[in-house]
Amino acid sequence: MTTVPRLPGSTRASGWDEPADLTKDPALIPDPATTDVPAELRKQIEDAMALYPERHSAAIPALHAAQELHGWCSPEAIEQVACVMQVTPAYLDSVASFYDMLEKQPVGRHSVYVCTNISCSLRGADALLATLQEATEGDGDFNLRSFECLGACDLAPMASVDGVYVGPLELSDVPQLLDDTRAGRPVLPEKQLATKLVADPNANSQEFPRHAPEDGKR
Amino acid sequence: MSDMLLFKDIDEPGLNTLSVYEARGGYASLRKALATTPEQVLEQLEASGLRGRGGAGFQMGKKVSFLPKGQMSKYLVCNADESEPGTFKDRELMQKNPHVLIEGIAIAAYAAGADRSFIYIRGEYVLQADVLDAALVEAREAGYIGDRVLDSEHSLSLVIHRGAGAYICGEETGLLDSLEGKRGNPRLKPPFPANQGLYQGPTLINNVETLSTVPTIIAMGGEQYAKIGVESSTGTKLVSISGHIQRPGNYEIELGIPSREIIYGLAGGPPEGSEIKCWFPGGSSSPVLLPDDLDVPYDFDSMAKAGSMLGSGAIIVVDDSTPIVDLALKVAKFYRHESCGKCTPCREGTNWTVKMLERIDSGEATPMDLDIMASVQDHIIGNCLCVLGDAMAMPIGSMIAKFRAEFEQHIEMARAREEATLVGAAVGVGAATAGSTH
Amino acid sequence: MPRPAPNTITFTIDGREVQAPENSMLVDAAKHGDVEIPVFCYEPKLGNPVGACRMCLVEIEGIGKLQTGCSTPVKDGMVVNTQSDRVKEAQRSVVEFLLINHPLDCPVCDKGGECPLQDITFGWGGGISRFIEPKRHFVKPLELSPKIAIDRERCILCYRCVRFSQEIAEDYQLVLLERGAHSFVSTFDGHPYVAPFSGNIIELCPVGALTSRSYRFRARPWDIEDAGTVCTLCPAQCNVSLTVRDERVLRVLSRQNDDVDDGWLCDHGRFAYPALAQGEGPSETGSSTVKVLQGNPAAAANGDARGIRVGMRVSRPLLRDGGELRPVSWERAIEEAAVMLGRSGAKTAALAGDGATNEEGFLLSRLLGETLGSPHIDSRPSGTLAPELQRELAEPRLQAKVSDLEFAHGVLLLDCDPLLDAPILDLRLRKGVRRHGMKLERVSGEDFGAVRETAKRLADVGEEVVIVWGERFAAGADGAGRVRSLLDLAAELSLGETDGAGLLEIPATSNGRGLREAGVLPNGGPGFSEREQDGLDARAIADALAGGELSALYLFEVDPLSDGDPFAAAAGARADVETGEGSASWARGMERASAVVAHATLLSAGLAEHANVIFPAGSYAEKEGTVTHPDGRLQRVRQAVAEAGDTRPGWRVIAELSLRLGTDLDVYDAKEASQQLFDAVPFYAEMTLDEIGGRGVRWQEREETVAVGNAVLPQQMEPSAEAHSGPDRDTHAADNDTEGEHSTTGELPHADDGENEGEGRR
Repeated sequence: MTTVPRLPGSTRASGWDEPADLTKDPALIPDPATTDVPAELRKQIEDAMALYPERHSAAIPALHAAQELHGWCSPEAIEQVACVMQVTPAYLDSVASFYDMLEKQPVGRHSVYVCTNISCSLRGADALLATLQEATEGDGDFNLRSFECLGACDLAPMASVDGVYVGPLELSDVPQLLDDTRAGRPVLPEKQLATKLVADPNANSQEFPRHAPEDGKR
Repeated sequence: MSDMLLFKDIDEPGLNTLSVYEARGGYASLRKALATTPEQVLEQLEASGLRGRGGAGFQMGKKVSFLPKGQMSKYLVCNADESEPGTFKDRELMQKNPHVLIEGIAIAAYAAGADRSFIYIRGEYVLQADVLDAALVEAREAGYIGDRVLDSEHSLSLVIHRGAGAYICGEETGLLDSLEGKRGNPRLKPPFPANQGLYQGPTLINNVETLSTVPTIIAMGGEQYAKIGVESSTGTKLVSISGHIQRPGNYEIELGIPSREIIYGLAGGPPEGSEIKCWFPGGSSSPVLLPDDLDVPYDFDSMAKAGSMLGSGAIIVVDDSTPIVDLALKVAKFYRHESCGKCTPCREGTNWTVKMLERIDSGEATPMDLDIMASVQDHIIGNCLCVLGDAMAMPIGSMIAKFRAEFEQHIEMARAREEATLVGAAVGVGAATAGSTH
Repeated sequence: MPRPAPNTITFTIDGREVQAPENSMLVDAAKHGDVEIPVFCYEPKLGNPVGACRMCLVEIEGIGKLQTGCSTPVKDGMVVNTQSDRVKEAQRSVVEFLLINHPLDCPVCDKGGECPLQDITFGWGGGISRFIEPKRHFVKPLELSPKIAIDRERCILCYRCVRFSQEIAEDYQLVLLERGAHSFVSTFDGHPYVAPFSGNIIELCPVGALTSRSYRFRARPWDIEDAGTVCTLCPAQCNVSLTVRDERVLRVLSRQNDDVDDGWLCDHGRFAYPALAQGEGPSETGSSTVKVLQGNPAAAANGDARGIRVGMRVSRPLLRDGGELRPVSWERAIEEAAVMLGRSGAKTAALAGDGATNEEGFLLSRLLGETLGSPHIDSRPSGTLAPELQRELAEPRLQAKVSDLEFAHGVLLLDCDPLLDAPILDLRLRKGVRRHGMKLERVSGEDFGAVRETAKRLADVGEEVVIVWGERFAAGADGAGRVRSLLDLAAELSLGETDGAGLLEIPATSNGRGLREAGVLPNGGPGFSEREQDGLDARAIADALAGGELSALYLFEVDPLSDGDPFAAAAGARADVETGEGSASWARGMERASAVVAHATLLSAGLAEHANVIFPAGSYAEKEGTVTHPDGRLQRVRQAVAEAGDTRPGWRVIAELSLRLGTDLDVYDAKEASQQLFDAVPFYAEMTLDEIGGRGVRWQEREETVAVGNAVLPQQMEPSAEAHSGPDRDTHAADNDTEGEHSTTGELPHADDGENEGEGRR
């Protein structure tokens, strides 16, 4: 495929330059008779479909399950889901490509999402990301991504390591973060969100701050 | 009556389990509600004046009353796709007190006549979804969820649905499409979800904090609840505060207290030696306010009067060390990344705004570009399918309006820097890659 | 199901009071006041508006924000402004936003000149762009399918094409991938978008992002002409607009007619034309579902090396000379044919097939009957039906129309596969199911008990039931019995008395209904009138030719030995189930016939082998005349291009031949042929070509027709229940406790001219 030269500042997304392969057949709903679906995956998808009045609702859970198994939403993974859900693979492809957590390219097995949204970047997330990038350079095990607000601005800067929120992170935490992850240990146990108390000094049965002057909590 | 409403015993070990929750009086409100009629529950909700805590601030009781009456499949959807930058209150609630949410859902569903409910929780909240899953199992076993709740005529199913990472799914109709298994594109309104929502059926959608407040309202009575807060903004509110602040975190406050009290009194103000440059009072979608605005009471109407909004109740404090262009670029890039692409002004406007800001940052702009950028924000506001476009255009517009001098200075300095670089090189320096790094 | 029947309301737009149907979208309502609100994503054919492009923002008094005109239903007293500064600014801004990423390559864009984006930019845009950043650049054009090219630079993400794939064709192959400004239209993993109706997305695209690979760069909008006509490649008879340049049809577009095609075209109709006109061989439309007029490659090898081969267009008269077909002059061809037919006389048989218009069929029946004295003429590949059955089937009130397929409570597909038999109806049925919850059942006619059961199950859901049946249901020895049962079932379910219910037959040939009504039947003249002497039907003709009882065969756009021809298909099907003969008897019959005279567009295998004289026949784009839709809608086929080569109109050839044989048919132009037809068929009485116009006319709905039809088809105006006796009638009465309903159906006046009195009751 020829690559069109790009001017600085112009955007491109993967897929824009891809034509259809006219030697392929149209992608219809996969035939259960000819599509192999791992039994475990089939069961997960069928269970998900049973939860909803409409089977299509299971698209995201099903794609999550397929990604878990295949590592990413590969065409094969999508075809398997499409076969069980009896929808076209294009439908699922369209859904998968809409959501940030569903991977359309092969990625490392450990996901490290570094929040680089406002609150985290105000507290050094960009440097954290750069440090992590340097430290994982060439390491195929890591899927390091900058991520939009992960909803843990109280831990800023923070990251979600294989789904576990840790923060606030110092640059010096990076080696241990990676080591823990590689070794399969709980990552930075003392920095995990699960261990944090509410910041509010008044919480836990205390009175909330009132707006009347005499109740003001200063 | 002076106890915390949402954060009472919030850090008590085991509060996420049914036994501890029940020991604290949990699910008594559901029993109380089921002993009355749905209409009576609705009356309490309406009397409480509770306004939605997700961002729009619509009265919850009114929303419930919009659902058509009669026998039909109705749905209740809890919006737990908390993704407004700066907001993390629902995360705290779900993780530490999942049963209050489940109880709130059960009561609200009873009032609305819904027999199927869903919690759409953002996929990134793995821990919280796991906690909810476990709590749901307990609640089902105890008969709070399922066929004939507590032997009443009311039945309710509950499914915890994990999203997959898309800010737009926090928009209620985008959430519905996503829950139906589609791309999370917002829908045209009308029809409103109350009439045609999930699977085209009548649907009540409420935020986690809103629903978690419902048991309290039933316990204390709507009128009592309405005495907290100020007239048009009743009750307490969880405020997430972050950014350049000494004690970031969630705080429960009575609506109507001065903003200064939250930022300085509770959260300790900006770090030693720095001053507040501006602050977002309600997440990154709210127009920024200045230090002068710190005495504005923290409630829905006062914030609107001050030219901003309470939004999701997320204060982001930005100190004077941060260039405004950096902040604007961060905001704009976020919305470009999260625009679903369905409607033109949002898709193209967010993209264009980022490109203009990048030019400003790289010294390829003139002050005239600020006028263009401001006009582009004007063209986005009010012209989009949903509010995402406005959510970028309002804060960016407010930044241009309030910090124009700094923008102009930035342009001049960047140009000077750029020209200096160009002396030695004939070719322009590549602008920052525009493609998302995400 | 209730059809929409909107009230008319008055609203104000740009200061003027305008009347419009209540609840129609503002964009449509505005047109009633000659106000155009620009749109990109809005296309009512695609279902509910999506409000994505934001081009149609208007100001409505009492509402703060601008509203999308495409999704706001108009209400009485509404005050709308499309000209305020606010609206104009919003319009200019949307155009500016859209052009940010749209390349300004109009001079080399295939859509240039017929591009909504171009038009709207000129009409509503600001005229300048403030966007100075680099635009997007991609490889272009890319193949999306063998028929369609995609140019993603130009795409404005209006969602039309993906909505078509997802919500109309329901194939869900075409989707948007990625999100936000990165979104693009694509398929799964590089698979091509191949589906029976894929070509519609080209027409839907409001910019030059989706273009027809066969039409790209063939013409500019200013050097083409549009010619409206009807596609006669299948019984669906979609209305089309042909793009003509230099006497060549370059493109086929839909000419929306909601009563026929709902504005869609199948890929065969859209892309097959060049193959038909130029004989370029088998078409690859992706829709293998439609009868493809194509040659047999094996036979092609046996063709005349110097001249025409199977699959090629016949553009000059051909005469078999020394075993080979050679081009000859018209005089010679007509002379030779006349001699052969004259010799055969009453022992001549004729078939009319797919391409024949009503007029051609009518004149053919005159040639056979008046000139040659032969009653042996047929147009039903599946075998003939008794005249009374045909008349009962033609009963106007029993006739379902296309729109009924959308609104009925239930539709039963009986020995009929719309996708194969009349593709566009497939989309209409999907629409009914999708939008109105219509119940759709398929059933085979083999077991009529099952048919009855299914039909009654549908009738339990709602009284409006339409039974769509394929002509093959009536095939074979017990065909008449099955049709009788079908009519009884229709009576039992009161399909004739229920608005929106009825029967719809999909004939095996494109204009099957029209040919029958024109009298191309062995047992009925024009308008199913009685014949003095019944002739042989298609099957019997084959046998009689083989047996020597008949000696000459006149094939009007038929080749019973060619793959894809309905007569061949019917004969082939018969071979399986009955005598094991069928196509074999045609082979023997044509072999044995002393003369085979044919009209053909393309040379087909059987004609290459057996025809003595072949007259070139025009494609539908070269013809003038009328055809009749399966629901009784007469439609005009209009000549769009000159006849290819030496081709002459069919009516003229038949008239000349007849004159040469000593009978003047009195036809000197196409219009006269139509007039003769209208005069001859009682229920076409007083019809004019102008009345048929561009949209067609259902003869059942004409006032003149009902009066005349009543006289001609006396029993059809009776309540169908009364046409039968015995158990059927009892069942019928039992099923309907309001017997009074029946009498209302008899309100039409009975026959009062004695001509057909004997037929009144059975």
